[in-house]
Amino acid sequence: MSTYIYAITGAGHPLPLEGLHGVGDPPSELRTVSTDRLTAVVSDAPPGLRAKRRDVMAHQNVLEALMAGGATLPMRFGLVGPGDDEVMAALEREADAYEERLAELDGRVEYNLKAGRDEDDLLREIMTQSDEIRQLNERTRAQGSHDDRVALGELVAREVTVRGQQEAEDVAQRLADAASRSSHAEPAPQQFLNLSFLVPRAETEAFVAAVQREADQRGDAYSFTLTGPLPPYSFV
Amino acid sequence: MSLVQQSNATSGGGSGSGNLYDVLELILDRGLVIDAFVRVSLVGIEILKIDVRVVVASVDTYLRFAEACNRLDLESGRKAPSQLTDLVGDMTESGAKGKSKGALSGAVEAFTDSLQSKNDESEEKEQPRKRTARKTTSSRQSQSREE
Repeated sequence: MSTYIYAITGAGHPLPLEGLHGVGDPPSELRTVSTDRLTAVVSDAPPGLRAKRRDVMAHQNVLEALMAGGATLPMRFGLVGPGDDEVMAALEREADAYEERLAELDGRVEYNLKAGRDEDDLLREIMTQSDEIRQLNERTRAQGSHDDRVALGELVAREVTVRGQQEAEDVAQRLADAASRSSHAEPAPQQFLNLSFLVPRAETEAFVAAVQREADQRGDAYSFTLTGPLPPYSFV
Repeated sequence: MSLVQQSNATSGGGSGSGNLYDVLELILDRGLVIDAFVRVSLVGIEILKIDVRVVVASVDTYLRFAEACNRLDLESGRKAPSQLTDLVGDMTESGAKGKSKGALSGAVEAFTDSLQSKNDESEEKEQPRKRTARKTTSSRQSQSREE
């Protein structure tokens, strides 16, 4: 039977797993694989496992419970080893690296910030600042060929990308001091920012306030979504 | 301003589909892996991500931008946001302003609570209302991702 791995913690980490269950249907039972230095929270890997809502939630719930008790290395969803023995071998082999990372993450949590801007608001700004785009817009609005419309769209698309990247950089820079580390990821369509922060637990209030100030300054055309505290997925 | 705060992906029981979407890519794409261990197939999800990248630089996208620009009313467009704000202000009165501030100051507390309790009531009530302001693309995608 192969083994599904949820997280790795220090050996003495609290394991508040009562009432929680693992991935699969019927839900698998959680157990631990331990060495003298580290503990892995695992379950049997159900055959045919895929990223269903139920399973992703089960994975996340286990991590949140563990995270409440201190530093936890969250595994990526769906990681499966051949068996408990191989998990134990990995814990022994990588013990130094895992302990080092646990120490880095101790007392820190992840926050994920996504941001988007109202498209009309952005297009209006682009239009006001570029004569070429404005003229092309007037022309295609009156009649304009297919090629003109594609040319207009391509110019605008490039502006949207460049401005989005610039805004993402600005936001990241202004929030840098409020967090220990940050990690960019691909933004969703219609958004310009998908940025994770590693924040000391004791400073989350100040961090949230800094994000709030950023959102306030940007105005109504922007929508920010801040999620956290999360297991430090982006920093392991 | 517009800031939606979420304590975590799973608070509020089954009602948090949008929340789960917002952290799905962290759970699926980030996190620790162990060399030589395998991952379960996430085929459908990977395809979706590739699609997104392709679409960004396609003629269809260009034409959509062109159309959006053509439709844009530069003159009256400037007034639109304040008109909208007035309207919302009339309807919800002081509630709107107080709510966004209150939601934030209470949020840090709610974060901590949600680590212990999965049923934070104030979070649950807060989110559906605030999320209506967001574009609907995310919830649609999260559904197709699940399959």
